[in-house]
Amino acid sequence: MADLAHDPYRLILVGVGGQGTLTLAQMIMEVARRSGYRALQSEIHGMSQRGGTVYAYLSVSRGAILTPAAMEASSHLLIALEPLEALRYLPYLRSDALLFVAREPVRTLPDYPDDPTLFAALEAVPGATLVDTPALAQTLRLKQAGGMALLGLAARRLPFDAPVWRSVIAERFGPGTAVTEKNLQAFAHGLG
Amino acid sequence: MDTGWSQTEVVALGVEAVAYAAFDAGIKAVFGYPGTPSTEGFERAELLIRAENAGRKAHWAANEKVAYELALGVSYAGYRTLVTMKHVGLNVAMDAFVNSALTGVQGGFVLLVADDPGMHSSQNEQDSRYLADFAHIPCLEPATGQEAYDYTRDAYGLSERLKLPVMLRLVTRLAHCRGSVARRAPDPVSSVGLPHPSEVPGWVLAPANARAQYQKLRQKLGPLLAEIGPYNRLIPGSARRGLALAGLGRALFFELAREAPSLLEWPRLEVSGLPLGGDLIDRFLGQTDEIFVFEEDYPYVEDLLRNHAVGVAVHGRRDRTISLTGELSASQVRDVLGIERPAGKAPVTLAVPPRPPRFCDGCGHVDAFVALKEALGRAGAAGTRIFGDIGCYAMAAEAPYDSMHACVEMGASVGMALGAAFAGLQPGVAVIGDSTFVHSGLPGFTSFARARANVTLLIMDNRTTGMTGQQPVETVDMLEAIVTGLGLDPAHVHTIVPLAKRHAENVAVIEAALRHEGPSVVICRRECVQASRKGVNREHDRCVREAARG
Repeated sequence: MADLAHDPYRLILVGVGGQGTLTLAQMIMEVARRSGYRALQSEIHGMSQRGGTVYAYLSVSRGAILTPAAMEASSHLLIALEPLEALRYLPYLRSDALLFVAREPVRTLPDYPDDPTLFAALEAVPGATLVDTPALAQTLRLKQAGGMALLGLAARRLPFDAPVWRSVIAERFGPGTAVTEKNLQAFAHGLG
Repeated sequence: MDTGWSQTEVVALGVEAVAYAAFDAGIKAVFGYPGTPSTEGFERAELLIRAENAGRKAHWAANEKVAYELALGVSYAGYRTLVTMKHVGLNVAMDAFVNSALTGVQGGFVLLVADDPGMHSSQNEQDSRYLADFAHIPCLEPATGQEAYDYTRDAYGLSERLKLPVMLRLVTRLAHCRGSVARRAPDPVSSVGLPHPSEVPGWVLAPANARAQYQKLRQKLGPLLAEIGPYNRLIPGSARRGLALAGLGRALFFELAREAPSLLEWPRLEVSGLPLGGDLIDRFLGQTDEIFVFEEDYPYVEDLLRNHAVGVAVHGRRDRTISLTGELSASQVRDVLGIERPAGKAPVTLAVPPRPPRFCDGCGHVDAFVALKEALGRAGAAGTRIFGDIGCYAMAAEAPYDSMHACVEMGASVGMALGAAFAGLQPGVAVIGDSTFVHSGLPGFTSFARARANVTLLIMDNRTTGMTGQQPVETVDMLEAIVTGLGLDPAHVHTIVPLAKRHAENVAVIEAALRHEGPSVVICRRECVQASRKGVNREHDRCVREAARG
């Protein structure tokens, strides 16, 4: 098995309350654990769940990690379920960090930038990949398909074996169910 | 000692690690009142207790004081117990808390307090370590989830040996840090028995007894320091610069020291238990000319060191080496220690507007506030001030509602609206949630109910403690009986269902209440949409339906 690109490897997952940001983070954590790594995750709960900004900051290591507390300019990889949230957490990313961003604005703000402005700003960020998650969700008829595809993209950069990912996803959504099958398809779409 | 069990590993939040440890330590019962970031601690203990189904008890109390007293009763009966709350909840439990140090405890007693530096979801960032000091009880502060588990397991024995409650202090970053935690072999659920008859006067804090108990409490300082000693370590170093590290400050330092290993050669004082002995402080200071203190929240350890420091420069929050307010950040620690900040992404020029939390789609609070705003206009009181309270409904302070002009602490709305009305601000308008009303609004309401003033209280009754994740409220659907029982004329108790389609009639009801030249209550009852989805009141509602059918 390949090893982590950096140790500790730090990921940040961001989105809007209710999008399943923490669920995605917990799946990565579980895959890391089963693959013999240590993982720690820092979350924000409470008021932020009410449609506010949500993030989970995850550290993965071969050795001990004491705190995953968000550290400026330290994350290697960002998964954003919402494009504006990707920009919000830019200060937490290293200069060489990769960003996988859902092209799926949640416009619950009065002064939300328009699509061309927002997407242009994101495309100008080195390392950013915008994913047409609405199209994927429509194709697969699965609301959370986008998140699973982003997870697949991230999985390419992590040294965990595909069967471990698949078993964790299956356990999350119920082994052998149709919804698991769709989630696995979405994940495979990202994994390529 | 614990062979098979030592391999039992769980993934847990920091507060959940405390819950696992308390459960494994054989607690008979857990109590609490919800409050971020402490809530999941109680909830994990409750899940374990339910799954075991062996007669242990998990119970959300009306408020933290009640929770603390319930726990103290369990301890009196000789059993181990856990009580959970957030930092401001300890203010509410203060009377029970401070005096439980005087009575001492029987069964092991652990208080989990979750502090919220940075105020992620709180109205202040007070530091509970001062309150442990104030009450003369020990405080353990873990830096990791595993320490949270281990310290909690230890705390029960510590509590029983010292016959004192033990505070487990966590901060948000640890409370909500998820990681692997190894559990150890469980202790049985057993009682050490009731206090011996000769000890009973110590539980009766009449002045003569209390004076004796206070002396005993003061005399416990020696044994307390001896017991806490192993939690604090002095690691000698080769430099004359030193580091004092506590809690998250310790964790943060070691993470950053990966990038600057030479810092590990500085002498360190690592503090995980309070009180902190003066000898250890003096030995540490004796090795240094200059020290840096990294701890979370107020400069507590820093001040202890400062008081002992002669000719040693102490850097921390007091001298603004670190900001006096807010969370300890990695950037601050980097800058202080001269660890280079890593290169980040170039910032974008596009302004990123904030995304504050908002009311859920379909939330009844929204319809209630829309009706209130219109009713105030019709009653000629559009410019009045609305006294609010703690809960989701406090989001009405923001546009487009702009319907909350004060929000201070649990229950404050009732007393403040009445006080303002006494001072001439009439109609006095207060808005409070059902759980908050029962938590701390009731004592104020006894004055409100018969006041000779035009005051209106809107109870945003969503049949749950909504903001903290929809915990059950024991008094569900009982508010009419409660407010009339406390003396309010039933003619001025109204119940409305906050729905857009009932807007006109709701406005009329609220307007009439505002115009009434005396106290009125409008109960705005519609279940929280999240609570409905989870079925929080499903069992309650089923029982009521069955009773109605006979």
